[in-house]
Amino acid sequence: MISLFWHYVTTAHNWSGRNGISHRALEHLRLSLAAMVAAALLSVPVAAWLGHIRRGGFVGQSAVNVGRAIPSLAILALLFPLSLRYGFGLGFWPTFAALVILAVPPMFANTYAAVRNVDPAVVDASRGMGMKPAEVLLRVEIPGGAGLILTGVRIAALQVIATATLGAYVGFNSLGSFINEGFGQRDDAKLLTGAVAVALCALSVDLIFGVIVRRATRWQRKGIRL
Amino acid sequence: MKRSLSKVLVVTLGLSLVLAACGKDDKKNDSTPTTAKAAKSSVPITIGAQDFQESKILAEIYAQGLKAQGYTASVKPLGASAYRKVELEAFKAGTINFAPEYAASMLEELNSKKGEATGDAKATTDKLNTYLPTVGSGLVALEPSDAVDTNAFVVTKKTADDLGLTSLSDLAAKGKDLKLGAPSDCATNPNCVPGLKKVYNADFSNYTTLGAGQPIAQALEAGAITMGVLFSTDSTIAVKNFVLLKDDKHMLSADNVVPVVAKALNTAGFAEAVNKISAKLTTAELIKLNKQYDVDKADPAVIAKGFLTKEKLL
Repeated sequence: MISLFWHYVTTAHNWSGRNGISHRALEHLRLSLAAMVAAALLSVPVAAWLGHIRRGGFVGQSAVNVGRAIPSLAILALLFPLSLRYGFGLGFWPTFAALVILAVPPMFANTYAAVRNVDPAVVDASRGMGMKPAEVLLRVEIPGGAGLILTGVRIAALQVIATATLGAYVGFNSLGSFINEGFGQRDDAKLLTGAVAVALCALSVDLIFGVIVRRATRWQRKGIRL
Repeated sequence: MKRSLSKVLVVTLGLSLVLAACGKDDKKNDSTPTTAKAAKSSVPITIGAQDFQESKILAEIYAQGLKAQGYTASVKPLGASAYRKVELEAFKAGTINFAPEYAASMLEELNSKKGEATGDAKATTDKLNTYLPTVGSGLVALEPSDAVDTNAFVVTKKTADDLGLTSLSDLAAKGKDLKLGAPSDCATNPNCVPGLKKVYNADFSNYTTLGAGQPIAQALEAGAITMGVLFSTDSTIAVKNFVLLKDDKHMLSADNVVPVVAKALNTAGFAEAVNKISAKLTTAELIKLNKQYDVDKADPAVIAKGFLTKEKLL
């Protein structure tokens, strides 16, 4: 099986064209990125603001958690006919929507907790310095919680890239298609190609985020050392 | 803490007893033959049902139909996600001795996809019978029925009218711009894209992969694809009024429903009893039976009973 897999991924033909590894990997990442940006825009500002005013967190979190509790496959199956009815078509949009719903909960939870849990003494001090509420949020609370906020984004990214494989079920031509075809055609080489490619994408993105989180919180570690 | 735990246990136990009782009751109602004669064979017939609705319905039909003719028969579900491979294991282990099967697919499973199946149900079943004696302590396929469950190429009524499509041979000339949606096995399945190319000279290699069944039906209805691959017994074809393109050059292999049984069971009287049931099965009937499951959400045992009553086999 491993040798079949190796043969598959080392055959140039399997990398090119509409159903090649390169095109499908790019499509996979394009969709994941779009879903991540949309989810971040939807969740981070609201969660940060709720964390700032220190209320609504429980209700907000419970609401978005519904998205995590319902399996993505079920969400996709529910969204698919809606996407068709309202002219969004196959593939990209229904998968996009399902992934946004999946990505929101960890981003929301981490952002709310990050802002909510910034040391009250620091927040008090910044108010005492005459900062306005918006300044407190943008210049104290968000930078203070940056590590936690980015960790939320990082967790979401890992889940989104792995779950984007479901798009193959509704006609999104991506890395999930290798898994789907490998299963349907009883072709283990294809199945393994899809699984390994998705895992590599997810882990690479996770690694990149790991570096970003460290960079963004470098001042915190330096502060501790001082 | 301890007390509440035991309370929970008592409640759970009570509930499961109630549920078990309900389950038993159901079974009793469904499986009591109305006109049972004296048992003809001492060997109980255990019919394996694969994990999809049609297999379950067919298993019930044969079980209830045989019971009505005086045999001892019961259905054994093979379990979640259990298909042909599990069924073959069950035959070998002797946990089942009867299964409703599909001639061409069963043949290709046993001959490691040699491509010996043709569009001829009789010839395909005969070929299948050259492989079956070697499975376990020997199996045999009885008469194939007229019910065929194979790939069905469907278009909407509007597309069929607009382009003047009635059969697959129309595709080469009139179907160039059709967008095909099909399950993921289509690219390599000789009954799908490769067959369309070889037999009908129609190239659909650029097709869109979709989940089998509902996703394809929904996409076709909404116009996101213009031709879809469904199963020929899928009730959706009737419900949505899709037009089934005729396989006029016999590309599709004969996946007729065929009962496969252990050799030991196969006496003349038994074969006759089984054939009597198979004779009433047609593709149109199977579509109706599947519709009762898909649309009316009926239980396979109830669906089978209704069918057998209608065909005067009970």
